[in-house]
Amino acid sequence: MSEPVIRLRGVSKAYRKGGEELQVLDRLDMDVEEGEFLALMGPSGSGKSTILNLIGGLDDPDEGTIEVVGENVSQLGGDRLSAWRARHIGYVFQAFNLIPVLTALENVELPLLLTPLSKTQRREQAEYALQIVGLGDRMDHRPKQLSGGQEQRVAIARAIAMDPTILLCDEPTGDLDRDSADQVLDLLQRLTSEYRKTIVMVTHDLKAGETASRVLHLDKGVVESQTA
Amino acid sequence: MNLGRLVRRHAWSHPVRAALTVGAVAVAIFLFCFLRSIVTSLDAAVSQSASNRIITASAVSLFQSLPSAYKGAIGAIDGVDSVSRMAWFGGRYKSEENFFAQFACDAEILFEQYPELLLSDEQKKAFIDDKRGAIIGIGLAEKWGLKVGDTVPLIGTIYPRADLRMWEFNIHGIYRSARANVDEMTMYFHFHYLDESLERGEAMGPRGTSVYLIRLEDGYRGEDVAYAIDAYYEGGPQRTRTQSEAAFQADFVNMLGNLPTFLGMIGAAVLIAIVFGIVNTMTIAARERLRSMGILQALGFSTSVPARLYLMESCAFALSGGLVGAGIAYFTQDTFRKLFGTQIPVFTVETDTYLWAAVICVVTGLIGGAVPAWRAARMRAVDQLRRGI
Repeated sequence: MSEPVIRLRGVSKAYRKGGEELQVLDRLDMDVEEGEFLALMGPSGSGKSTILNLIGGLDDPDEGTIEVVGENVSQLGGDRLSAWRARHIGYVFQAFNLIPVLTALENVELPLLLTPLSKTQRREQAEYALQIVGLGDRMDHRPKQLSGGQEQRVAIARAIAMDPTILLCDEPTGDLDRDSADQVLDLLQRLTSEYRKTIVMVTHDLKAGETASRVLHLDKGVVESQTA
Repeated sequence: MNLGRLVRRHAWSHPVRAALTVGAVAVAIFLFCFLRSIVTSLDAAVSQSASNRIITASAVSLFQSLPSAYKGAIGAIDGVDSVSRMAWFGGRYKSEENFFAQFACDAEILFEQYPELLLSDEQKKAFIDDKRGAIIGIGLAEKWGLKVGDTVPLIGTIYPRADLRMWEFNIHGIYRSARANVDEMTMYFHFHYLDESLERGEAMGPRGTSVYLIRLEDGYRGEDVAYAIDAYYEGGPQRTRTQSEAAFQADFVNMLGNLPTFLGMIGAAVLIAIVFGIVNTMTIAARERLRSMGILQALGFSTSVPARLYLMESCAFALSGGLVGAGIAYFTQDTFRKLFGTQIPVFTVETDTYLWAAVICVVTGLIGGAVPAWRAARMRAVDQLRRGI
């Protein structure tokens, strides 16, 4: 068996809210293999999104280690962490989180500004990413001019534009109707099967869970069960 | 696509807010240029004064005439190359409300003493040869539509004519000025004409001259000659006060009271207000863009990028407004010069003022962007994404 691309060991995280401490993760252990499509499910407050934030280095654990692509994320900081994130992590959010003042193409091109690619190369790569998600004809549209499903596909195109090792998807179908959600799930599945992307997806959607190759059920910061 | 485009799009994402911010900066920078130019234009007349000329006036007051007979005695003092009289006429053009400066002068010496007055030899000669001749500045000519050959009717206020008619002067030349110490809004005519009219009883008013203009011989210091003249008349009949041309001009500026300080305070208040305006705009913008900045960090941009974007946007607002304001100041200076007339005849927005305006815009922009930049640099991406609208 190959080395896991994501390895969490004894990870704990607590937040303070209204003077009370909420234990969100409690000594969590978790491995994700390369090319795996993992779904994290569980009730609100079970720590699903926190796991994504910790894997992506957007948040720090109180305890434990997080190794992603062979790097101890919690020991990275500042510009090194930013550069690492740009190279290895692609984010897809529930609320799409596109920059509203930029067109679809510009949104996808945005992370490519961090690469040494020329202007033409950046544009070509962004166009390619949009074609992969089936939006080659919507490149000059602003987010406001797109449907929810299209916005999410632009967000996925942006996430894969840098050809990251891992896609972190936080409720990617949460704001979509069934048809749009199915299109997004098909797309994510294609990214693992055709492009061997490792995907960690937080979802409440049972159908989305069925799309994943493995599902971890979380409750109160610990893994309650797992289904393959 | 580049970050500059993102800044531009963000800046104009609320067109009305952006236009109001730019407009407010434009007004502030225009006011700065305008107020500073009043002060620098007044100062220019002082700083560009000739060092080889001194001016003798009454020690009592500038409004007290000196006897004409002083001319010979002053001319005999060591170091005096030439001396001429100049009397403030104070007439009104056609009607009481139309005013500009007029001086009765010794026309034969005027151009020798004031090489800054630029006009052709033919016009100089025509002026000198006609007892009722006059020359006027180009600014005056443009303001009143006067040209060579015209007659200028003036109502005598200090020197009313006995027949109650207007004085009439024939324009023989229109001069330009080579330096800021000599304005282009003045009329010069023959002292003899005024003096003879008073002598014959054709006009009434004080005899004598307002000031004596003295050109120094090479190698003599103005202070020494001034001291000698004042010492000569120490015992009367009327004491004199002799100053360098710069000091004399400075006295005029000082007569306006503490105007430069007052204008400076207004300018500073306007600029402080505009800093608050930009800080306000940028703080609102930053609150709206919290999530966008979190996204940038999630995409792999360093924490300094959102801070840089805020600073760039704030500076873009300040510099755009500054450009508009400075442009308005540039294109309206001729209008204001005419409007100010003889009060500030050399009103000009100098290059220094534009440079200061640019510095103010950059500093204002940096201050305006500093608060959201500082906050953005301190806030973690996860918090920006969570709290963002």
